[in-house]
Amino acid sequence: MADTLPSELVKVDPRDAWAPFRPNAAVPWNEKWVAHLHRRAAFGSTPFDATRSLRDGYEKTLERLLGGEPDADELLDVLLKTGQFLTTDTQLRVWWLTAMLEGKHPLREKMTLFWHNHFATSYAKVQRTRLMFEQNLQLRKHALGRFRPFLLEMSLDTAMLKWLDSNQNVKGAPNENFAREVMELFSLGVGHYTEKDIQEAARAFTGWHVDSRIDEDEDSFQFKPTLHDDGAKTVFGRTGNWNGTDILSFCCDKPECAAFLVGKLYSFFVSETKPPATLIEPLAERLRKSDYDFADLVKTMLGSRLFFSEHAYRKRVKWPVEYALGAIRAAAPGRVPLGDVLDPLAKMGQVLFAPPNVKGWRTGTDWLNSATLLARNNFAETLAMGAWERGRDDGVPQRASVAVSDTATATPVDFPAASLAEYSMAGSAAVAGSAVAMTFPTFPDPNGKLYVAPALQTPPPPGSGTIDPPPQKPPAAGSAGVQPLPKALNPGEVPPPTPEPRFDVSAPLLQPKPKDAAELVARMSVALAGETAPASVKSRIERYLLDGKPAPKELDTPAFRQKVRETLHAMMCLPEYQLN
Amino acid sequence: MTTRRDFLSRTLGGSSLLAFGGVVPEFLANAAAAAETAKSQDTILVVVELSGGNDGLNTVAPYADDLYQKARPTLALTRREALKLNDHVGLHPRMGELKRLWDDKKLAVVQGVGYPNPDRSHFESMDIWQLADPKRSLSNGWLARTIPNMRVNEAGVPGMFIGQDRLPLAMQGADGGVISLADRESFRLKLTGNAAPRKKLLEDLNAGDGPAADLSAFVRKRQLQTYTSLKKIEDALADLPSQRPPDRPGGLVPPQPPGSGDALNLGTLNGRLALIGRLINKGLGTRIYYASINGFDTHGAQAESHEALLGEVSSAIGEFFANIVPNAGRVVLMTYSEFGRRVKENGSRGTDHGAASCLFVAGAKVAGGLVGKHPKLDDLTDGDLKYTTDFRSVYATLLDQWLGVDSQAVLGSKFAHLPLLDLAKKADEKPISRS
Repeated sequence: MADTLPSELVKVDPRDAWAPFRPNAAVPWNEKWVAHLHRRAAFGSTPFDATRSLRDGYEKTLERLLGGEPDADELLDVLLKTGQFLTTDTQLRVWWLTAMLEGKHPLREKMTLFWHNHFATSYAKVQRTRLMFEQNLQLRKHALGRFRPFLLEMSLDTAMLKWLDSNQNVKGAPNENFAREVMELFSLGVGHYTEKDIQEAARAFTGWHVDSRIDEDEDSFQFKPTLHDDGAKTVFGRTGNWNGTDILSFCCDKPECAAFLVGKLYSFFVSETKPPATLIEPLAERLRKSDYDFADLVKTMLGSRLFFSEHAYRKRVKWPVEYALGAIRAAAPGRVPLGDVLDPLAKMGQVLFAPPNVKGWRTGTDWLNSATLLARNNFAETLAMGAWERGRDDGVPQRASVAVSDTATATPVDFPAASLAEYSMAGSAAVAGSAVAMTFPTFPDPNGKLYVAPALQTPPPPGSGTIDPPPQKPPAAGSAGVQPLPKALNPGEVPPPTPEPRFDVSAPLLQPKPKDAAELVARMSVALAGETAPASVKSRIERYLLDGKPAPKELDTPAFRQKVRETLHAMMCLPEYQLN
Repeated sequence: MTTRRDFLSRTLGGSSLLAFGGVVPEFLANAAAAAETAKSQDTILVVVELSGGNDGLNTVAPYADDLYQKARPTLALTRREALKLNDHVGLHPRMGELKRLWDDKKLAVVQGVGYPNPDRSHFESMDIWQLADPKRSLSNGWLARTIPNMRVNEAGVPGMFIGQDRLPLAMQGADGGVISLADRESFRLKLTGNAAPRKKLLEDLNAGDGPAADLSAFVRKRQLQTYTSLKKIEDALADLPSQRPPDRPGGLVPPQPPGSGDALNLGTLNGRLALIGRLINKGLGTRIYYASINGFDTHGAQAESHEALLGEVSSAIGEFFANIVPNAGRVVLMTYSEFGRRVKENGSRGTDHGAASCLFVAGAKVAGGLVGKHPKLDDLTDGDLKYTTDFRSVYATLLDQWLGVDSQAVLGSKFAHLPLLDLAKKADEKPISRS
């Protein structure tokens, strides 16, 4: 077997494509492929991740990513407990971003995100933080599990029932909304059912209702027998007194179901270039045979030769969450206030818990238009300048109240040394073997000592999509925003203040004392992208850094640090950096 | 294969400035200058998407039809309520501004618009309308296919989407042709510190060549396009009013001096259309604008939400035309929705997904009146109206007669023209009459 697959996708033998990957001369286990795996299976890599994965080797790294860190379960417990206290959609978003970054099981969160997009449900209609949280728990619980029970649980999920008008679906006057989406979006895809199938299936789901209690947070699924149509229905040519469970089961029985799901996962993990059906079919077959075991499917995909080939490399557009978290992990020396990431994410087109509609986000190149690209550029600016929580007009110095645990000062948060070290680029030595007892910050801490975001101390007005106080009134989640157009126009008139050390992206790059600009630029591009930038980019960046003059003897000066931040921003605006 | 040079020249509408120049900042400056000096008489099309499936039967109601009254025991508009267009149909009472346009013979009401074998999925049907292809075999939208065939005099971006969602499918796939304008803040490139050299660095880095088919080449194009447009839009927006005008109650708009539209609130259709009006008045050079308003999926308790939506649509369109009077002769606006709704109301005082519906075409050069037959209520398919006018006939008419683009090249085949436009009509340069 040759080391590389044929360069034309149609010529790739599916058996070779999905055969287990083994590092080889042509595709060695190096920074490039480490970064690739971490971009897909996780939310990018910190320098620590990269070093460790390189050292551990491919098998061990894949295994760790598939199963999470040893203490992931423990952390999850804490996350789930703290989640109980969330009261706003904003808090919920910060909570999930925290789980993605700190939960020690990024693949599980990545799959949760995949399913959130698949079973896309929006707070914009559900309007209950708790119900969205509980749905998120279901997504997580089944993220790497089996699809049949998952589909059933999602069909009984309260947020989903509200989202798709299930209470309006009654005997004699069926509402087709849910039945349609089950087939069109959740299991089969367009073209594998008829309008008649949907009408009949809707009858089978009649009476699958949400029981509204006095406290809507306590709403839950209830079957209303009197509203259920128990006549005969014909769905996919089968006639009988079917109920909703039967319909879901019929959907999963259809061979198209596995192909539909594999195709969707393929574009999430492997490539957004449409694959030939022959490439999908073996995995669909495998999925059917395993009775929809997603852990197996994900493992097969991520551990395949196709995944570690140019057919997959940078063949996806980063989702905004991937872009933002990946950049943070690669560049920020300390934790950043995740509440500050929400508004940029919205501008990039991705408000968690508020996909635009039941079809989920339009992904791929649809992520990129001039507004969303600009939002990426501007988010990169915040990150590069360490300008978190700036630009507020209310004069409240909120930064001081945000306790971050990566400094030596006393902080209210105890987090395992391991995770701290991951955030500190120089800390790799501290990691091995550290097993520090962990406590996770409780969100409504009476002392207001929260590391994550000031958002949690000053909840925004109901319905406001982000934590920023006026004058920027961001849109309600998922809806079009009501945003006054500010008058001020000329950016860059004020030189940026020096960022705090924990936000200073130049520090970890200059700390190892690169001998010249070339070494520095190489270090930057490997940190961001896992590989050296093309010569044309490198030379431009170097020229910018040196400004046409010979390299200064001492690189680590305030002025040079600023230039490093500026060039890091430019590198995060490169076209390639928008790709995953 | 598209080269970077091709792309740049298309971005700027064929401006020869670019043919040899490789330095982006210069072309930005040149393009901005060109836009200021160009004096254009290009026609403009504004497309307003009513998202969710607008209930055509309660927008243009067959109030005189007993079957209509019977099918909608709680929702039907009565003879008294409807703003009568003739003895059979009338506008929803909240659409006072559209009624004024009707009275001024500036509003065409196209009835029974649809397509064969209607799809009742929002996404599928929306895709069909936006692709103008019931088979959905194409991947770029009808406006995106229009743009490469359309002449743009000023070095402007041919198409612009005003909104905070991602680009509608109708405009997707027009490389170098479309930009999306979210809110003002989202359209400012933040570069602290050494702003000018940093801008140059960004542009230089994104100006590099790459394999044209490559995904990163696509991103590169998008990125450059973004930087190009920033400057122009900034100019167009520079003199926005700093105060948001107070809200006005009701569905009618009092007389407004031109340019006073509520362009500050881009969360409303009114704000979006007002901004389009300003950009038009600024001579931005864009020929296709697209805005949308959400919420027409009225499965339950329809009466309240639908009347608010129609009121917003009507007053926003009314105010839009009031604000672009100097340019009114070159602007046509059309509305559309992915489908209408079922004739019979459902058990929750709402309506479920249906088929044929109505749409509006408005403007000074529009031949006012009813166009197409109202579908019969005693001849339904699965409880839904049968279409009498293919929506592609609307597109074809606007392409051929208004934008000057061969409709067959865009739509793949010929569609009959509709009597929508009266190009000989003189556009009055005074505001729309208000009684």
